[in-house]
Amino acid sequence: MSQNSRDASVVLSPSGALIIDRASAFKSEMADALGKSKKIVVDLSHVEELDLACLQVLYAARRAAMALGGELHFSGTVSSRIAKRLSAAGVLSGTPGRAEDFEASLLEF
Amino acid sequence: MIDKFKAAFKEEAHELLSQLEDTLLELESHPRNGELINAAFRAIHTIKGSSAMFGFESISKFTHEVESALDQCRNGTLPITKDFIGLTLKARDHLKEMLGQEEPPPQATMEEGESLLVRYREFLSGGKAASAATPEAGPSTAAGAAAVGAAPAGMEAQAPSAKNGQPVQAETALQSGPAGEATEKPSTYRIAFKPKPDILKDGTKVLNLIEEVAGFGQAAIYAHTEDIPAFGTLDPETCYMYWDIIITTQKTENDIRDVFIFVEDRCELRIEKIDGETLDEEGRAKRLGAILVERGLVSRADLRDALGSQRKLGEVLVEKKIVSKPEIDSALVEQEHLKKVQEKLDSTGASIRVASEKLDSLVDLVGELVTLQARLSQTSLDLKDAALSSICEQFERLISQLRDNTMSIRMLPIGSTFNKFRRVVRDLSIELGKEAELTTEGADTELDKTVIEKLGDPLVHIIRNSLDHGIEKPEERERCGKPRSGKIMLSARHSGAYVLIQVSDDGKGLDRDAIYAKAVERGVISAGQEMSEQDLFLLIFAPGFSTAKTITSVSGRGVGMDVVKREIDSLGGVVSLSSERGKGLTVTLKIPLTLAIIEGLLVRTGAEYFVIPLSTVDGCIEIRREALEEYGERRIINYRDDLVPFVSLRSTFEMPGDPPEIEQIVIANLQDSRMGFVVDQVVGNYQTVIKPLGRMFRGVQGLSGATILGDGTVALILDVNALALAVQMDGGRKAARGSGR
Repeated sequence: MSQNSRDASVVLSPSGALIIDRASAFKSEMADALGKSKKIVVDLSHVEELDLACLQVLYAARRAAMALGGELHFSGTVSSRIAKRLSAAGVLSGTPGRAEDFEASLLEF
Repeated sequence: MIDKFKAAFKEEAHELLSQLEDTLLELESHPRNGELINAAFRAIHTIKGSSAMFGFESISKFTHEVESALDQCRNGTLPITKDFIGLTLKARDHLKEMLGQEEPPPQATMEEGESLLVRYREFLSGGKAASAATPEAGPSTAAGAAAVGAAPAGMEAQAPSAKNGQPVQAETALQSGPAGEATEKPSTYRIAFKPKPDILKDGTKVLNLIEEVAGFGQAAIYAHTEDIPAFGTLDPETCYMYWDIIITTQKTENDIRDVFIFVEDRCELRIEKIDGETLDEEGRAKRLGAILVERGLVSRADLRDALGSQRKLGEVLVEKKIVSKPEIDSALVEQEHLKKVQEKLDSTGASIRVASEKLDSLVDLVGELVTLQARLSQTSLDLKDAALSSICEQFERLISQLRDNTMSIRMLPIGSTFNKFRRVVRDLSIELGKEAELTTEGADTELDKTVIEKLGDPLVHIIRNSLDHGIEKPEERERCGKPRSGKIMLSARHSGAYVLIQVSDDGKGLDRDAIYAKAVERGVISAGQEMSEQDLFLLIFAPGFSTAKTITSVSGRGVGMDVVKREIDSLGGVVSLSSERGKGLTVTLKIPLTLAIIEGLLVRTGAEYFVIPLSTVDGCIEIRREALEEYGERRIINYRDDLVPFVSLRSTFEMPGDPPEIEQIVIANLQDSRMGFVVDQVVGNYQTVIKPLGRMFRGVQGLSGATILGDGTVALILDVNALALAVQMDGGRKAARGSGR
């Protein structure tokens, strides 16, 4: 996972499978980012899998960022496999490919 | 007996092929729509199964390979391209051809089929290569998820659009197996699935479980995220989310339980069958309150209190903290799902299939009844019997209802013909190297089936003409500042006793000067002659009239538009045109709703009766004979501040006898003007059963049919537009020459 800080925003670019094995590490990265900046961008282009554990981390991080007066957004493209699974599980509306649409279509995100 | 089944198979197969065509055209616009791919697959699968059963071996073999290709599409291993759609449309046409032939089909048909299959095999080998290069597009093989019937990876699940914070409904196609195989009615289940917090720790993939259940049928899913704690206290390996799932499926409760069998002890699972409960006691879609009570979230007393308020139930209950907002949202998802399921049941369970010949025969019989009823009324009048008159009145009312009901059975939505035009536009735009899109409006406008059948060819001609002469090539359109792709709009709407059908395009429109020049060249008009734009435009309907500089295989020979006019005339309809140079053309067809029974105005001249369609009648004027004579040759009357020409039916049809002292002028609305018809007497409204005229009368202008009156007399039905034209053409004298009258 790489982390780039540009201007005031922190960009996280996780890659591969974001699954329970990496959930704790992912949460730490996210906590780190939340501490550094009010604006966090998660580039989903290289994420091949996203399970419930890491999805919950994203939900909690987004809500934390907003509670702090900041924001958390997605960028890049979303794997159709991820979109399809989340959509079938009722978490996502449709199967958007663009991260911006993905963000807007996540339930109660 | 077997022949009867074979005929039934062919009928069903034709219907499935028609649906397949629509599905494929839709799929071309939405290639990632899983439900459409499933529908196409099911159609082919059913044809394959039934054809094998009834001994149509070659159809079965051919469909088997098409089915394999569609299966690959379903699995996401074969991309759906324009070429693939084109090939499958050709395969569909080929199947249609095979259905019309005996088994085994002729050699030429077999060869054509083989060449199509060769192209399929090429697609399949290409598709596999493509799929290997992009493993992501393949089906999920993740542990625990068989993903039965779920939309393939990368395809659109049919979820309604939801903005952030709104309930999400994940919809998949109703898993009823291939079309035609579904025999059992699906059941609806309410599933509450709440995993225990530690469920993730042993590697259970919760999302896969939900996905697997969703694949069982038509599902609406609400995922609860409200228990996800604040970031600081979140344990990344704990499960906080839980789900409410409403699913309509043919699977059993045990099938659903089996999905959760390995997590039984690590979740709270409640499955309730809510079949037969889609409606409330009064047959309406179930209310939100009823769902909340059933879910045990709200007591009846709380519900009564909340309903006492004039505000929305959900808002009141959330405000009183009786339920949470997500609980309301979840119940709303259930309500919406139940509504959809009920709609589906309504649309499939409330109709039966009847051969159209039986309907035609029913209409004929009702027509006879109407005629007989007129005779009965006449007899009762003559007999002056009060009891008989009363029975006659009741009989008349019943017959009138029977007539309306019978006519309404024959009414079909015009959309059934709209669909075939999409194929015409698709194929023709490819052939002509143009880009065009057909949009339709008012597809549910209903019209008598006979009228719909007769409208097909004229509309095809108009649309072909629009594409060939109207819509420009993409480059030319760009030069004119138009989008590359042209638009053809087909719309239908009711207007009184007529349906207005419009075909509009955004092409180059009609060239007034070119039409004028062509008309002069052909001697239709003389140079310098004044002509209204509408009249000039209507010249394009003259036989052999084309301003196209080049003749294509599609149009330009001037054959076609005259056929349109003739067909629409034969339907008692009217064609009009409006066009702006460079902006496009709109062709409007005004078509009567029915050709079987109409309301008419019965009139008499001498001993002859005529019926004027009531929908065309504007009014009647009484006039004395000497007043009429004063008009002399210049027969124009002032009617409602309008100068209206009039003709006498007596002289038009060269009928013997003298007119009465007081005559009547019936003013009829023509296409864009009015005309008066002088008759001896206006008898009154008359339910007119239209009977075709015999071959002998076919050449007579101004008559559209005949009807039989109560006393057995035949009355001729006037086609006022054609009659007016005939009168104008020969000075109003010999319109009916050759009629034998």
